[in-house]
Amino acid sequence: MALPLPPGLTPPEIAFLCEMELVTVIPRQRLEGLELLGGPIRPLNPPYRANIPLWLALLLKRQRRANILPPPWLNTHSLTAILDHEIEHSETFSPPPRLPPQPSNHTLPTSPPFLPNSTADAAPDALPYHWLELGEMLLEAASDDFEEPDHVRKLLRGLREVRMAKLRSGVEVLDAGGGVKMNGVGGMEVGEGRAFVTGVIDGLRKITASREQQRKDRDREELENGFSGTADYDDDEMDMQ
Amino acid sequence: MDIDDLLAEVAVDSTPPETRDLQELTRCWVAERVAPEILPWPSDLMDRVLERIRRQIELVEDQTGNMDPKTNFKLIIIQTELERFKFLVRSFLRARMKKIDAHPIHILAQHTASTSTFAPLLSPSELQYMTSHQSLLSNHYSSSFLSQFPASLQRLDDTTGGISMVDKPDEDKAVFVRAMKDVGDIFVEGTDRRFEMKRGDVWVVRWSAVRRWSVGTGTGDVELI
Repeated sequence: MALPLPPGLTPPEIAFLCEMELVTVIPRQRLEGLELLGGPIRPLNPPYRANIPLWLALLLKRQRRANILPPPWLNTHSLTAILDHEIEHSETFSPPPRLPPQPSNHTLPTSPPFLPNSTADAAPDALPYHWLELGEMLLEAASDDFEEPDHVRKLLRGLREVRMAKLRSGVEVLDAGGGVKMNGVGGMEVGEGRAFVTGVIDGLRKITASREQQRKDRDREELENGFSGTADYDDDEMDMQ
Repeated sequence: MDIDDLLAEVAVDSTPPETRDLQELTRCWVAERVAPEILPWPSDLMDRVLERIRRQIELVEDQTGNMDPKTNFKLIIIQTELERFKFLVRSFLRARMKKIDAHPIHILAQHTASTSTFAPLLSPSELQYMTSHQSLLSNHYSSSFLSQFPASLQRLDDTTGGISMVDKPDEDKAVFVRAMKDVGDIFVEGTDRRFEMKRGDVWVVRWSAVRRWSVGTGTGDVELI
């Protein structure tokens, strides 16, 4: 019964997560409102647009009950601009969409896949967290809703290549301490890079474990004694080598 | 909390409670799949979710006989969503079971320490599963070989010689996290690493360095991805 999978989400699980993203559809048939477990779905009345979760949109699309409106970032113009940005800035990923205003202290903050980053009024200039999965799924199930599906597919492939190269070249900055900033990284990219990135960090940590333990003990001792002298730090380094 | 806070809360939070529970459950599931150690059991959330799933199943059973095509399609949607929810819950529970199977003695000690707090580590059925599984295992060990050892070597939780027999999860394992609020300075113990974590940032960092801000184990300002 216990889960046989290693820690971290598998690609199908990431796709499952991505299917919770809201997308905009133009219904072709009426559908009464529904009380679902994850909240109510408002009635669909053609030709009015509605935002519904991707899994439902795909279900309706396959039965030809609705058309999906691809998000504004998923067209040739936006993707070309983002791709240019990715190529120009070889160090970092293109910035993620802007965050909604800070919620009050007592509410649960929302995060992907529950931010409306892929509806028809999402920002056109940034790739959201689930960009790759969402793009692939829409191109597969609803390519007739795109203006130039093949061109979009090509651009997505290009973006993926550029960003994977960044993820790989980022390996050089990895060390035992961890603490690597990866703003703008996508869900599928986290899934692909996780085993390698965390493996390298954990492996390096185990190599330097004894030195770290010494350091920890000394830091704690200093904290207890209340003095902050680090004068003997360099000497210790020498002893270690 | 004064009246202004309450008003602000009502104004901002127009999300239906069902949707919020889905968001919370999803977050718990991802966290449990990623975190190296088992996280406290979200008992209120799970009670609500399981109750809703039970009611939805009843609804589906009630309406299955209905041959009207319109209701039929509605039912397909409802069932699809039901299956998605069931998958979430099942995968969440199985991820926890995997950790319980891997480190039962360590988790039992943690759970016993947590029972006095508001958030016990395990649910009652998980505790029952773990204790009966563990007693079966230790009975089996002792009847098949342990009983023939000298009495001093028969324990399963020996700590003599400075090395504990009890396996622990690796709490320093690197994890991917996303900050949902400004967290401030993070300090990785034993290294020179210090950095500021701001809202929306994604970091690869040791679990031990962020766990007190994490969903489940801490303030909930940081989520695992």
